[in-house]
Amino acid sequence: MSVQPKTRTPRSRARAARGVPKAAAFYDLDGTLMDLNLVHAAFFIFANLGEWSGRVSYLAAFVARLPMLYMAERRDRHLLNVALYETFKGLSQDRLEALGEEYCERILMAHLYPRALDIIEANRAAGFAPVLVTGSPDFIVAPLASRLRIDTFVANRLIYSRGRATGRLREPVMAGEAKAAWCATYAAEHRVDLAKCWGYADSRYDLPFLIALGHPVAVNPDRRLRAIAQSRQWPVLRFAKAQARRGAAGDLDPRTAAQDWTEEKLDGAARS
Amino acid sequence: MARPEAKLKELKQAELKHEVGARRDLVVTLNRRSAPRLIPYGDEFMFEKLPAGTRVIYPPPPLDALPDPDAAIRYALLRPLNADPLFAQLNPNMRVTIALDDISLPLPPMRRPDIRERLLNQVLQTLADYGVDDVHLIVATALHRRMTESEIRRMVGERAFKQYWPDRLYNFDGENRAELAMLGKTDHGEEVWLSRRAAESDLVIYLNLNLVPMDGGHKSVAVGLAPYQSLRHHHNPATLRDSHSYMDPKRSALHSSANRMGRLVNAQLNVFSIETAVNTQMYGGMLDFLQKNEDQFNDWDRARLKGFRWTLGNLSNDTRRQMMHQYAAPYGLTGVWAGETEAVHRQALARVFQQYAVPVKGQSDILIVGVPYICPYNVNSIMNPVLVQCTGLGYLFNMYRNQPLVKPGGTMIICHPLRDEFHPEHHPSYIEFFHRCLAETTDAMQLEKRFEAEFAINPTYKHMYRFGHAYHGVHPFYMWYWGEPARQHVGRVIAAGCEEPQVAARMGWEAADTLDEAIAMATADHGRSASITYLHLPPLVIADVE
Repeated sequence: MSVQPKTRTPRSRARAARGVPKAAAFYDLDGTLMDLNLVHAAFFIFANLGEWSGRVSYLAAFVARLPMLYMAERRDRHLLNVALYETFKGLSQDRLEALGEEYCERILMAHLYPRALDIIEANRAAGFAPVLVTGSPDFIVAPLASRLRIDTFVANRLIYSRGRATGRLREPVMAGEAKAAWCATYAAEHRVDLAKCWGYADSRYDLPFLIALGHPVAVNPDRRLRAIAQSRQWPVLRFAKAQARRGAAGDLDPRTAAQDWTEEKLDGAARS
Repeated sequence: MARPEAKLKELKQAELKHEVGARRDLVVTLNRRSAPRLIPYGDEFMFEKLPAGTRVIYPPPPLDALPDPDAAIRYALLRPLNADPLFAQLNPNMRVTIALDDISLPLPPMRRPDIRERLLNQVLQTLADYGVDDVHLIVATALHRRMTESEIRRMVGERAFKQYWPDRLYNFDGENRAELAMLGKTDHGEEVWLSRRAAESDLVIYLNLNLVPMDGGHKSVAVGLAPYQSLRHHHNPATLRDSHSYMDPKRSALHSSANRMGRLVNAQLNVFSIETAVNTQMYGGMLDFLQKNEDQFNDWDRARLKGFRWTLGNLSNDTRRQMMHQYAAPYGLTGVWAGETEAVHRQALARVFQQYAVPVKGQSDILIVGVPYICPYNVNSIMNPVLVQCTGLGYLFNMYRNQPLVKPGGTMIICHPLRDEFHPEHHPSYIEFFHRCLAETTDAMQLEKRFEAEFAINPTYKHMYRFGHAYHGVHPFYMWYWGEPARQHVGRVIAAGCEEPQVAARMGWEAADTLDEAIAMATADHGRSASITYLHLPPLVIADVE
């Protein structure tokens, strides 16, 4: 008996040779892979702008908007994204990209759940290509994806005019139904069967995204998603926040996890 | 030292045969005036009139419990079988691992103090007296779910819990490669993997609880502390098909394999086994009528039964389930033995058979069983359809020695509502197994070939097993394989009182609204003169079919 998932058929060998994944694992980011959200990222960016006057004015404007953002979050995730990204209006693209890189390096990597990384790497080793599907901005998600060796991601993109953010988002705004639609497009382009794909998310707003996939998993779900997961009999994963702050980014090297997992799998296959 | 069990009848083989033989009155043939019979039906009970001529097999009454369990344990530790006394094996520099059975035994969970707590207190005291500090307690879960903190606290008691949890008292993790060691291969090529902590210990003490004869012996260490790499050698359809029955270890290929592995373990490790046996005192006090012959019910029994059924019938499914899982059984300890694994297990097995065996003449065309609310894999959880299958076809069908209670090609009627309900945190892989794998095939060989390896390495299920409270990804496969001997033997399986016929159909069963309808469907096949046997639960009974 082998512990390999399946013996490769000529067709699957051909797919592997072309670099086509047999299926994908889609991950939401905020609250799913890490214990931070977009509001925290916005605070970081405004607090680290180049000039004191800019910092104070942007932070004050952002704080003034918090009640509205809270109301928007209660009503609709799409509305929240639109309202929140408006606060970035006027910031330069290069500054946002530099801050995004710094935020990723200094904050995000230390806030990723280590066990979420294990899941990503184990899924990758099992043939599920990792894909990030998130409402976070691309200038934060791109450096993170690069560090996690995730080639494919979709994130919200600001519209820039003459190098400065207009505060508007390019369509589609990544929230709710749009995530599900993007997954369907991805699946069609890469000829993968969504019924065989896994999806991980934490919020009730991700319900359309989870429903679109064959294997939805609720991660640290909010109250409503937990109830839905229970009634639909979806697996529920819990990543502990305390374990997320496991020292420096070096401790969280996903390659180590991937190597361990692959060695384990190969050992198992060799033994059988 | 006077043996503390002196009050309990010590039976020799011939005497045991005589005592069991005298239990023929436990097989009752019903007539038209017989009372309806209680039949477990999930969280509820059916109370149904069975056809005249139906043979009902009742469990033997509980053996007397040992009057002083602590004294019996002390005696066992001081006078072990084929081994030095525990104290004589100890020195302060040694490394000791104590492994103990998990929550799957006994069923329902027993009232406090749990036998494991009694055993632990004395073993830990002995270790402390001899200055042994390097002690770890491992709950031998194998691929079962991790027990929760409160479940472990309840099982081991406050003293051990406060002293050892969580650094030195923990659940076994069969997916932590760093904590596993390979001991070698048996002469049948079976890989023997074990907890590294146990493998590197100077002394391994196993605290076992025998509820039925399939428990204990080499199955304790070699299975309880083993990962998938070891278990797949005997938890597979081919081995289980060759087991006749699970309750008769001498004729079970599953036990033969576990024995080979266990002997290899014992050749390399110093294993000190402690086995216990309990009586059948499952329901006492206000619920003791559940264990009585219905023809002998008095007015008080009938009133309690009516009130009990009314209460259960008026609760929501969730509340009823929670209420039933709160119940703790007043089991009594009937024996405790310590020492070398096989010598100890022989004694324990004899006592277990003394408790359960009932002689039965011949097989029948139709076997009726009721599946209760609990099985080893859903304590504090939901009895999902795969577990109903495992309990009905796996455990209850196998409650025999010599030959099955039902004839080859006969019909099994399983009473259970069979709802499409799963516990997503305890049984996540069961859900996919049921809705995806069983939708494609119910053939155990095909399931093993096509899906088992995929589930075994599935990262999400692995994660939920290691860090959540989920059964391992392959566990639903094992549950399905468990029913393999029954599937090979019987012709039809009918779910009586089935609320969701599509669930029965998914498992290859037929559905009937009522028990009467199920019996009518079965007799249509076997004729009006078909012989019917009802295996009366609770508690448990093993039929010695002549």
